[in-house]
Amino acid sequence: MTVATALDRIREAEDGPEGLNAFISLAERPEPSGDGRTGPLDGVPVAVKDNIATLGLPTTCGSRLLEGYRSPFEATAVRKLRDAGALIVGKTNLDEFAMGSSTENSAYGPTLNPHDRTRVTGGSSGGSAAAVAAGYVPMALGSETGGSVRQPAAFCGVVGLKPTYGRVSRYGLVAFASSMDQIGAFGHTVADAARLLDVIQGHDPLDGTSVDAEPARLADAVERGVEGLVIGVPSEYLSDALAPGVRGLVDEALDRLAGKGAELREISLPHTRFAISTYYVIAPAEASSNLSRFDGVRYGRRHEGVDIAAMYEETRTRGFGREVQRRIMLGTFALSAGYYDQYYGRAQRARARIRGDFETVFADGVDALFTPTTPTTAFPIGERVDDPVEMYLSDVYTVTANLAGIPGLSVPIGALDGLPVGGQILAPWWKEETAVRVGGALEASGPWSRS
Amino acid sequence: MSVAREEVLRIAALARLRLEDDALERMTVDLNSILEHVSVLETLDEASVATEGEPEPEPVASTRAGEGTDEGEPKLDPATFAPAWQDGFFVVPPPPGVVRAEGDGS
Repeated sequence: MTVATALDRIREAEDGPEGLNAFISLAERPEPSGDGRTGPLDGVPVAVKDNIATLGLPTTCGSRLLEGYRSPFEATAVRKLRDAGALIVGKTNLDEFAMGSSTENSAYGPTLNPHDRTRVTGGSSGGSAAAVAAGYVPMALGSETGGSVRQPAAFCGVVGLKPTYGRVSRYGLVAFASSMDQIGAFGHTVADAARLLDVIQGHDPLDGTSVDAEPARLADAVERGVEGLVIGVPSEYLSDALAPGVRGLVDEALDRLAGKGAELREISLPHTRFAISTYYVIAPAEASSNLSRFDGVRYGRRHEGVDIAAMYEETRTRGFGREVQRRIMLGTFALSAGYYDQYYGRAQRARARIRGDFETVFADGVDALFTPTTPTTAFPIGERVDDPVEMYLSDVYTVTANLAGIPGLSVPIGALDGLPVGGQILAPWWKEETAVRVGGALEASGPWSRS
Repeated sequence: MSVAREEVLRIAALARLRLEDDALERMTVDLNSILEHVSVLETLDEASVATEGEPEPEPVASTRAGEGTDEGEPKLDPATFAPAWQDGFFVVPPPPGVVRAEGDGS
């Protein structure tokens, strides 16, 4: 199938009655930027989340404020994809500025879950997850700040990989919370996500937080097995909030890992209960600063006012959606005089302890952790939009990896009433390879295994 | 703790957002419900297993020294993405209290 055929099929499906609203824009005729040599992703159609700057296509971040905006430069991850021969077929839908857990906060409408069109895809990278799940593309780029790759991967029944903070350049990723933002990979299989990450990783002088680390060779690790690995099971992640059916599938997955030679060990991450609160102070605080640049002066859609202050206010009030305004308000509050120590200061201390929990268990000989990715399966569209706290709680198992900076992988471990369930593997800093080994073993031993 | 409407209005002004009537009411309710949840952080110190020699968040490893410039240069003229651009400048409305002079070309 040529990429032109793939694009025609995406257009046909998305324009039809079964359309998922997975894309905000589609390419006319995608071209790689490589020099004609064969690359590892030669001719592979790849979708890119619409908060990652891409030449030749708009970068809207799912916001009215950036409607039609074309970036003058390209994200390093996208350039690497093109250099590897990949063809960028389009930009995928997302919660506005990546703030959300359902892709309902997009100014371009929600993306529908391919497994049940009345349910959410998860978010914020819901368009990328749906595009892979629907078979439009074998792999896609997403971004994570609190679980925005792993959570929609779980809800849509695909693989989602969030690398160690610093592994992939953030250059060209529109900033939300800079101390946690990281580009991640979606794939149909663990091998696809691994191949994608192998291509986009690497030190980039254009991103001051990019780390000059030993490159991972993840595609080679998929079939390496789990014999001898110690896999920790944190008791805090198997709480009452967990749907009973999800718990059953997690137990089955653990049995399969044990059957493959892994040693299971119950462990504790005692500061987990502070994670959601910590995240929802730190991420909005950083967002309130990062999004101050959207003021109608340099880019995006301006709404005029009588003076510059009125123009700022008009542009931001009419340009930002409700959730983005809520997070800017929360962050501004947490950083304002009189509240800084009470909220931001405490959250920073809690973050250090959450990171410390992981350091302790990994130093104690645990190679990776296994948990559910989400407490429930995909919820109905509209169910949580008016209850921010309930919405935030769907990230309860994923935010810890972003706060600590460690890699995380979500793989399908089964389904409940036709809705996919994801299992999460968390690994030590720079040990994506271990996560991929565990994910590969689960994939190969599942009842749906193709091997 | 809870925040009152007046405090929410003060924060909105800092954030350069305008909240009126329903939006203000909704934002006040939402912020209070989030802050109630976040109040669990107040128990952090008692719950901690490590109160002494507490680790501070580690600074992110920086590699700024070699930061490049070539690929960071805009490949498009700001006129292609700026709301208003003239003679090499972003054009903006006047500061509060300043009246633009007649014949001012900006």
